[in-house]
Amino acid sequence: MSVHDFWTPFSLLPFLNALIIGISLASIWLIAALGLAIIYGTMGVINMAHGELIMLGAYTTYVFQSLVGVPFLICLPLAFFVVAAIGWVIERGVIRTLYTRPLDTLLATWGLSLILIQSVRLIFGGEPQYVGVPSWLNFQIDASFVHLSGLRLFIVLMAIILVTLTWYILYRTTLGIRVRAVMQDKEMAASFGIDANRVYSLTFAYGAGLAGAAGAMFGALKTLFPDMGSAYVVEAFLVVVVGGIGLIGSVFSSALLGELNSVFSYFTNDTFARFVLFTLVVVFLRFRPQGIISEGMGRR
Amino acid sequence: MNGNIYHNRKAQWVAYVAVFVLLALVPTVFDNPFTLNQLARYSVFALLAVSVSLIWGFGGILSLGQGIAFGLASYGMGMTMQMQFQNPEYDPIPSFMLTNELETLPLLWEPFLSTPVGLILTILVPTGFFVIFGILMFQARVAGVFVAIMTLAMLAAWYSMAYDMQPFTAGFNGISPPLPLQIFGGEVDPYSPLAYWICVGVLATLTLATKALLHTKFGLIVQAIRDDAERARFLGYNVAYYQVVVFAISGFLAAWAGLCWVMIVQYVSPTSMEIAFSISMVVWAAVGGRASLLGAIIGAFMVNGIQSYLGDELQQVWMLILGAIFIGVVLFLPRGIAGLLELILSKVPFGRGPSGAQWSAETGTEEKAS
Repeated sequence: MSVHDFWTPFSLLPFLNALIIGISLASIWLIAALGLAIIYGTMGVINMAHGELIMLGAYTTYVFQSLVGVPFLICLPLAFFVVAAIGWVIERGVIRTLYTRPLDTLLATWGLSLILIQSVRLIFGGEPQYVGVPSWLNFQIDASFVHLSGLRLFIVLMAIILVTLTWYILYRTTLGIRVRAVMQDKEMAASFGIDANRVYSLTFAYGAGLAGAAGAMFGALKTLFPDMGSAYVVEAFLVVVVGGIGLIGSVFSSALLGELNSVFSYFTNDTFARFVLFTLVVVFLRFRPQGIISEGMGRR
Repeated sequence: MNGNIYHNRKAQWVAYVAVFVLLALVPTVFDNPFTLNQLARYSVFALLAVSVSLIWGFGGILSLGQGIAFGLASYGMGMTMQMQFQNPEYDPIPSFMLTNELETLPLLWEPFLSTPVGLILTILVPTGFFVIFGILMFQARVAGVFVAIMTLAMLAAWYSMAYDMQPFTAGFNGISPPLPLQIFGGEVDPYSPLAYWICVGVLATLTLATKALLHTKFGLIVQAIRDDAERARFLGYNVAYYQVVVFAISGFLAAWAGLCWVMIVQYVSPTSMEIAFSISMVVWAAVGGRASLLGAIIGAFMVNGIQSYLGDELQQVWMLILGAIFIGVVLFLPRGIAGLLELILSKVPFGRGPSGAQWSAETGTEEKAS
């Protein structure tokens, strides 16, 4: 293997296409990380089962689409609500008792992810399943350097919609004010009459629901396996941790990581890009553990 | 003074030595090579659990990256054993490199032509990496879940590296050295009692050394940092130094595990750096009791033993059982089996107090209070 096989020289148009792929990648990671960011930002809980919630969303979509015949666009909210309900149960059952022990939450949710993977494998079998892409998304944009499938464009749009929706809930509704109050100071919020436990349950359910919606889209993008969630979980964590506090942080960091990954992949290859990116993130966290955006708030 | 035999240091040493003597005697009872090989594998897992117990249970640092040291050492050992098979004169290049169009032996592989150098590198490189990685993290006072995420990211990075660098690591297929380890003019048959004794010997030596280390001043400071890093810092201790050293030692232990592992399985692949495997190590330590080295060993033997002997039908639901056990342990038994033992032993009167009868009546309350 010579240097020339490994290193792709720079040329403008393919490079611009790599930037477009970067945006697509960034939107996928953002959608995957959004739920995690909300849960981590509000509750300080590292949810290792997040990838499996994504997987559940994908399988929910598969069930509704293939077995019931619901159109794809309706499957999205369905996946959201089904997985949100599962998330609510998880919070009540497991997470609730572990708020004072964040490292133990990490481990308990990992145990949970094993259970979820194996349950789905027992129900649906280990063979791959597919979510059909609706015909109105079956187009391809090919204009000079832009090569983008309709589905990927749809995911970019959905990322924008989900972020806007989450922003609206957090910053323009009473519930959002409560969530942010609990986020800043749980004790103080509780003394003002906010039911912090209820806020936690709802936040976890909402974060899980976002994972479900993400799963619906990833299911259309890729094949469904019971352990498909593990493909997203490390990237999602990195987006959250690099981003720091707030939605803006996650948006910035997913854009940054997605673009960097895409550019490194362009010059070398996918797996090597992953190595460089992860190493860079580790070095970045060493110098800025609070992430890109920090609002002077105490980190949990 | 001491009301619980669990906390008696002499009794602890007796328990440790007794377990290792029992393990060493196994080949005199079972001479089935497959059982021996399996038990040797468990002792490698036990060593990994000890390394997790040291860094997490005693150092208070949850590292999900123990697989980095294990994997790097596995590759080092795999390369050493592979080069023992190659002849530097007329067959210097492993066949998988030829299929990957490599004409000369890569520089990375050169040192492994010599077995002693290869073995030294097998231990030295992972330990050195943990020193550098530790300095990077702990100098910056990274703590808690951030360490977990950073080690996880690093592990994922190394995994994809091992996967991708196909001409050097044989990628997904991995390296399978054709011959067992050749050393001191003989060879270590993976299914022989000798291989088993080496694994148990390494486990026993390193565990006892770690236990001795934990009783020194250094060990006590490490535990003080676990309990309250800020307070230890205010007392004038260089927290980062102690964390880096204990992290490096845990990497050193995991590296020995990697060395032994490839010796008894004659195979290394990127799976040694899979995320799930590194988290499994944490599971073993958690089930056995993270705050006890012996507990971690027992946890590793138990979880793997149950997994192997469940039978094929129950293998289907093994992950369900493992997940449930794990959640149960985290929720209801955070100190694992060792913690349970501690609790049971606290009910048993022990020790020559000022007057025996009064002692036994009071110990129960005393233990609960502390």
